[in-house]
Amino acid sequence: MPDTHFHRPQHFYKYDDYDRTLVAERVEQFRDQVRRRLAGELTEEQFKPLRLTNGLYLQLHAYMLRIAIPYGTLSARQLRQLADISRKYDRGYGHFTTRQNLQLNWIKLEDAPDALAALAEVDMHALQTSGNCIRNVTADHFAGAAADEIEDPRIWAEIVRQWSTLHPEFTFLPRKFKIAITGSPNDRAAVRVHDIGLRLWRNAEGEVGFEVIVGGGLGRTPMIGKTLREFLPKKDLLAYLEATLRVYNRYGRRDNLYKARIKILVHEVGVEKMRADVEAEFAATRDGLLGLSDETIEAIARQFAPPDLPARPDRVGAVERLKLEDRDFALWLKSNVAPHRASGYAIVTASLKPAGAPPGDASAVQMEGLADIAESFSQAELRVSHEQNIVLPHVAVEDLPAVYRALGQLGFAEANVGKITDIIACPGLDYCALANARSIPVAQRISRHFASLARQHDIGDLKIKISGCINACGHHHVGHIGILGVDKNGVELYQISLGGDVDFGNTALGTILGPAVTADRVVEAVDSLVATYLDLRAAGERFVETFRRIGAEPFKDRMYAAL
Amino acid sequence: MAKNLSGDLQVASANRLSDGVVVWLDDAGGWTDRLDRAAIARDGRGADILLARAQAEASSVIDPFLVAVSEGHDGTVEPLSLRERIRASGLTFDAIAADAVRYA
Repeated sequence: MPDTHFHRPQHFYKYDDYDRTLVAERVEQFRDQVRRRLAGELTEEQFKPLRLTNGLYLQLHAYMLRIAIPYGTLSARQLRQLADISRKYDRGYGHFTTRQNLQLNWIKLEDAPDALAALAEVDMHALQTSGNCIRNVTADHFAGAAADEIEDPRIWAEIVRQWSTLHPEFTFLPRKFKIAITGSPNDRAAVRVHDIGLRLWRNAEGEVGFEVIVGGGLGRTPMIGKTLREFLPKKDLLAYLEATLRVYNRYGRRDNLYKARIKILVHEVGVEKMRADVEAEFAATRDGLLGLSDETIEAIARQFAPPDLPARPDRVGAVERLKLEDRDFALWLKSNVAPHRASGYAIVTASLKPAGAPPGDASAVQMEGLADIAESFSQAELRVSHEQNIVLPHVAVEDLPAVYRALGQLGFAEANVGKITDIIACPGLDYCALANARSIPVAQRISRHFASLARQHDIGDLKIKISGCINACGHHHVGHIGILGVDKNGVELYQISLGGDVDFGNTALGTILGPAVTADRVVEAVDSLVATYLDLRAAGERFVETFRRIGAEPFKDRMYAAL
Repeated sequence: MAKNLSGDLQVASANRLSDGVVVWLDDAGGWTDRLDRAAIARDGRGADILLARAQAEASSVIDPFLVAVSEGHDGTVEPLSLRERIRASGLTFDAIAADAVRYA
């Protein structure tokens, strides 16, 4: 792809004529394909790959449209349009996913082209949300705002997005391919459990570059990614990615669906051999068209220039007073508000996990409400987190009480981010054609059981992640408490694991405690695990740290004794 | 008559092409979204015939397949597997409504 491709005028990821034409043509192609399918001119076998290419799956009850939200970044206008699409073409709600996408669960085939056309109006699409291609790139949801950020990963996510969109060489990979990017030492993008994880860091010479991590992933065979390159100069990013994908495309297994991901290739050949092959390919191509000039990088970076944030006070009397008067607000400040790089500002996470709610779901009215709040208080910008919440990245400290109240009116001001009820859950057997067991009702029961905010904050940081099958869309392998639904002779059972983590430097896969428990005992099991932690924790120790110190046995013994 | 849980009883199901809605083949050879109107095969040979009929009538649906069901003494038909019960009855929790401000 020629370098000039990156010189298109953009704001955010607003399309230029090239993008707009491409997406508009795809919508019309799909419209004709749908017409031919409904007229009986195409069989399902012929049509299925075409609809999947456009993000349209068939689930248990209906078609599901998976909409790409590039690196989780949304404008208020886009979110409002998503609400409108959900209302017009679906049942008026959507599900934000662990890949920072949005899924609409009740789309009609005959309406799908109109829904895609409506997405295109706000520079969005559903391409590459299915199939064995490079999927929507994910990134730190605090990107461009986090106080701990070294560099904004969205610049690089956008470069990767442009390079990977309809990349002809990588449209039929052995299997799907997921890339995540973080620009902070505190990894909020789970880069060690992606096919490729990219971590921006500053070396001893003061240069910023990427650690390239390869072969991570969850699913049937969970693996933690290995470092392929300790330090990659930024200008070489695309050439190095292309080299890695090329090696995978050539040697990745195509004979066995379950062994086709790059993690299996890395595991089978070893990271040293993988590195040698990638470096050889990279050496042959690094000075070619994919080298990124400073000018190109700067052109993209300008699109992600920090918003103009007027000076605002850091410490505000009204906020301090409300903190003393309203205990829930004080808890919310602790759990849902993060430091911003700009003085006088904060990052707010709207919890899409109110007690008893399906994790990550929002109604059309709630989406519009979030868009309103973003317009009034956060530069009309929002982010979707891989933990299925919505982030308001640029909120003035003095506006925090107003934002708290506004989110409260939407039911999204629960002070539970990072706490036991901030549960990640896949759609599970209620929706998904692949699932073996339900996820959402289990999450709801746990959420109701631990609804007390005071108790949640006493328990502290504890991440529960629930998947309804081994494909692990709910990331159960890396949950402090992971819950995997399985089907045993027609009965839903839940396998519980402990000690998973995605924090950088501590990334770990959970340890399975023992035999799976029945659906009606999951809450008791979790309650017992929490009680064990509360009894045995050292001062200031988080759940996962207690687990690391004392191991699984004390948890296991008490849990099974309690059931 | 006790509830028949033998797994011998089967209905033919599919998703409707136009909107993905779950449907079952009825006695008249049409597709219905009501399980209580589904044609029931009562033995292996009947199941083979039912599936063949479903496949012959598949232009408006996607990939018909057989579903094992039970039949209560009052004639109530219910799929044996949880997956098929969910397909037949819908979500097992209340989804949020389009105009909902909060999850009830």
